Amino acid sequence: MSASTHQTKYSTPLQTDPLVTSYYVRNLEFWYGDFNALTNISLDVMPSAITAFIGPSGCGKSTFLRCMNRMNDLIPDTKVGGDMLLKGADIYSSGVDPVDLRRRVGMIFQQPNPFPQSIYDNVAYGPRLQGVKKKSDLDDIVEDSLKRANLWKEVSGILDKNGLAISGGQQQCLCIARVLAVQPEVLLMDEPCSAIDPTSVQKIEDLMAEIKDEVTIIIVTHNMQQAARVSDYTSFFLQEVAGEPAVLVESGKTSDIFTAPIDKRTEDYITGRFG
Amino acid sequence: MREQFRQDMHDVQGDVVAIMEELLNTTKLSVNALIKGDEVVAQEIIDDDDRFDSLTLGIEERVIELIATQFPVARDLRFLMSMSFIAMYQERIGDYAQTIAKAARRSADKPVPQPLIDLIKAQANLVYRVMDATREALEERDLELALKLPELDEPVDSLNKQFYRELGRLTDEDEIEAASKMVMSARALERIADYCVDTGERLAYFLTGERDLLEAVEADLEPQKII
Repeated sequence: MSASTHQTKYSTPLQTDPLVTSYYVRNLEFWYGDFNALTNISLDVMPSAITAFIGPSGCGKSTFLRCMNRMNDLIPDTKVGGDMLLKGADIYSSGVDPVDLRRRVGMIFQQPNPFPQSIYDNVAYGPRLQGVKKKSDLDDIVEDSLKRANLWKEVSGILDKNGLAISGGQQQCLCIARVLAVQPEVLLMDEPCSAIDPTSVQKIEDLMAEIKDEVTIIIVTHNMQQAARVSDYTSFFLQEVAGEPAVLVESGKTSDIFTAPIDKRTEDYITGRFG
Repeated sequence: MREQFRQDMHDVQGDVVAIMEELLNTTKLSVNALIKGDEVVAQEIIDDDDRFDSLTLGIEERVIELIATQFPVARDLRFLMSMSFIAMYQERIGDYAQTIAKAARRSADKPVPQPLIDLIKAQANLVYRVMDATREALEERDLELALKLPELDEPVDSLNKQFYRELGRLTDEDEIEAASKMVMSARALERIADYCVDTGERLAYFLTGERDLLEAVEADLEPQKII
């Protein structure tokens, strides 16, 4: 099946009301210059849940993730088509401020990227930009965010220490605390656990489960067991032919995808038969 | 790693198929011992009681090991879970083959009414057909054949009911105890066929991911049962 005739398979039907979703994506297209990288992506991301994006390298899942907070705007000569609604509002409409959008939609990357500042200042950075000046308010935000990121017990006595001087896993938790400090509605995580130790992976997976009621989480992962473990919904992306756009092959509840996927390509990928 | 995993799964299937072949053979020997009153063969089967238990337990242990070490999902997970259930069904089939062998031992020196012998021969032949089809369905991963098993099982159930009718026709001169052992064996044969149908159900789930395929086939057969 070519990308142009592709039909995504859904184990649960798409919603008709955008307001019941966190993200409501319909017929999304994305181009790097002349190259149509993603085509015909229609997807619901449900609130208070964790959605995993899976697929082989180069299948467009990170590109799609970066469409969700308009990070791709920063890349020259890129273009987006179709609808991408967050809480019912089009994030690509002319009135939307990408900077404000990125406050609402935080992002965690594969490599932890704390600022070369103290742990305290890393977490207080966003709230200060938002105008929080009172020390006691900042103290509360920093403590609360570090607690939610499962890091408070380890760093409460060393808040002045440079954020780059702690372990990689702790740095990733610090980055999550930094994002949580500005109270985002959505947390995008692009392979957040691929560069950290197993204990920290466990810690991050635990905190994802703890915060998902308040923050919609979308995670790109190459780790099938992690997708199966942590997510409520899973979407499988695939670029079947080099040079052709990637498509969303199948999307649905994780329990369905990992026990009885509808599409054979999903089955073959998650059972390790390709990719 | 994945290649080895696939080989391990292939081996598990091969071993389950081998157990099925042996069970068919053992069931045939048990029924023949019953019909011929061969106490020696019946005793040999009874003495071999634990073998199928340990073979099927071995399947279960390997399935657990593969699940624990390989984190299977989707088709692979369905396959391994199905193999575990199918192994359990084979263990039960082994128990029923034992039941027939024990009936053969107890009734070896007693005359059995000819109509019951004819009936058990007929029923056993039908059961062998179901057992062989079940083995073939697994070996070939043949969904169509798996879905056909309830249809093959239908006449087995019908013949089983005839046994009870024949039992009611017996007179005082007949050897009632030997006859009742025959009826017990007929019931064991009927259960063996039922476990074959259950095996087909697991196989259909493994192959398709759908749980109700075989149930739908069985529901279609219901009216015939009533008639």
